[in-house]
Amino acid sequence: MAELGHGGTEIVERIMEPSEAKEKIKGLPQIPIRSQIANEVIGIAYGFFSPLQGFMGKADVESVCKNMRLANGVVWSIPILFDLSEEEINKYGVKVGESVVLTYGGNPMAILEVEEIFEYDKKSMCQDVYGTDEAKHPGCARTYEYKDKFVGGKITLVQRPKINPPYEPYFLPPLEMRKKFKEKGWQRIVAHQTRNVPHTGHEWLMKGAWFQTYAELPIEKPLVGVLVNAIIGAKRKGDYIDEAIILTQDQLRKSGYFGDHNHLTSLTFWDMRYAGPREAVFHAALRTNLGLTHHMYGRDHAGVGTYYGAYDAHHLLATVQKDLNIVPVYSMNWLFCPHCGEITSEGLCNHQDEWQKFSGTVIRSIVQDGVKPPRLIFRPEVFDLVMECADKYGFGSPFVTDEYLEKRTPVFEIPPM
Amino acid sequence: MAEEKYPINIWINEERFAKLDKAGLGDLCEEMLAGLKVLRVYADDAEKDKILQVFPTAKFDSATTKSIELLPKDVKDKIFDKVVEKQSVNIMGDFLSAY
Repeated sequence: MAELGHGGTEIVERIMEPSEAKEKIKGLPQIPIRSQIANEVIGIAYGFFSPLQGFMGKADVESVCKNMRLANGVVWSIPILFDLSEEEINKYGVKVGESVVLTYGGNPMAILEVEEIFEYDKKSMCQDVYGTDEAKHPGCARTYEYKDKFVGGKITLVQRPKINPPYEPYFLPPLEMRKKFKEKGWQRIVAHQTRNVPHTGHEWLMKGAWFQTYAELPIEKPLVGVLVNAIIGAKRKGDYIDEAIILTQDQLRKSGYFGDHNHLTSLTFWDMRYAGPREAVFHAALRTNLGLTHHMYGRDHAGVGTYYGAYDAHHLLATVQKDLNIVPVYSMNWLFCPHCGEITSEGLCNHQDEWQKFSGTVIRSIVQDGVKPPRLIFRPEVFDLVMECADKYGFGSPFVTDEYLEKRTPVFEIPPM
Repeated sequence: MAEEKYPINIWINEERFAKLDKAGLGDLCEEMLAGLKVLRVYADDAEKDKILQVFPTAKFDSATTKSIELLPKDVKDKIFDKVVEKQSVNIMGDFLSAY
């Protein structure tokens, strides 16, 4: 039976057989791509970004910017672009109607069938997608860094990426993920979007969303799962290292705070745009493709600074809900109440004067001070694993440093053909 | 209206607590987050801006705690030492004059 993804389109992996690929790439111009583009090639080819089959042409970009829909009417919120300079277009001989090979790390990764070469006003794109054209917004900064020409066209992988340890068990593309859900017998799966090491506030966001998602389903056997889908992409100094993020999320299951029957950790390659409400809509499409039925959204989802209101993402999602095949699950903040002696929701507890709120930033600050937080705030197994990751992967630090950026093992590589 | 003050949370481990205790300053600690000890040193608006400018890794947690977080550990150690030296948590003006 066909697996239908976002927009009701069948999810199809665009990946060539190795024997065919070797022949197809012979004599084609080879263009090196940076990590953001390689991440998006994987997103397109495996169906994470279905119904996209390639990098967008101008009609789609314009429609996405102005109407938050592809030219065919399917809801889509963020342009997916491949940029080149005029000089590169001439140097590599990129021509409409012909194909080129995209290489990553010096090896062939994908064929791009060039359908269109175009320009687009970046300032106007920023205003439409991010609601601002300020260069200090990280999504705008990324847009302004694009070169001046965009190349649209279908993408096909010529070989699968090699996912390096410790990430490989967590790379579950849409078709594989859907099989996994069937094996587990889950009827509903709720997404937890993250790029953080979990504290108990996050743990309870997941637990709360699990309760909300379970709703009227029978409880005789486990029918609902939480999928942690960690976004792995560009890192900033001071972030937790990727290894710590993915392994500690899974540690919550391994240490029994969840179990195999209700929790699974996975990753998606994507460079966050911090587009707030529009990123929330993008996440809905992405997780629909992964086979999820529900998506948790907290306050200021995927936002940055003070660009978006706490619940702007919820409001935008409501405008397109009838066109989405995923149910939003809205979550209030969780906090520690010393009176209750437990983690509780701000929507439940009435000891406001005693509340002790905490955030990922505060927990990072505690860890950075070399202090082990109480287990009610940060699970000891998670803390110990963060420290282990610092030694094993982070050159002594659980946070991204210049040394980590320079020497880390890449999350994936493209092997030689 | 009283001027807004923004805390810098210096989280207290055994080593830091021993130093505070020795200086007779154990009472300066507060309990936060399920019993975790913290020394809260306050910055005013101008001091907050200067901290964020001088220490670019620092972040003002505007959404949840309204505190200044992620100062490097060696900077926090210096702030802590200044508190012990001056026997007060009102030291940010003095501390920042060196920067």
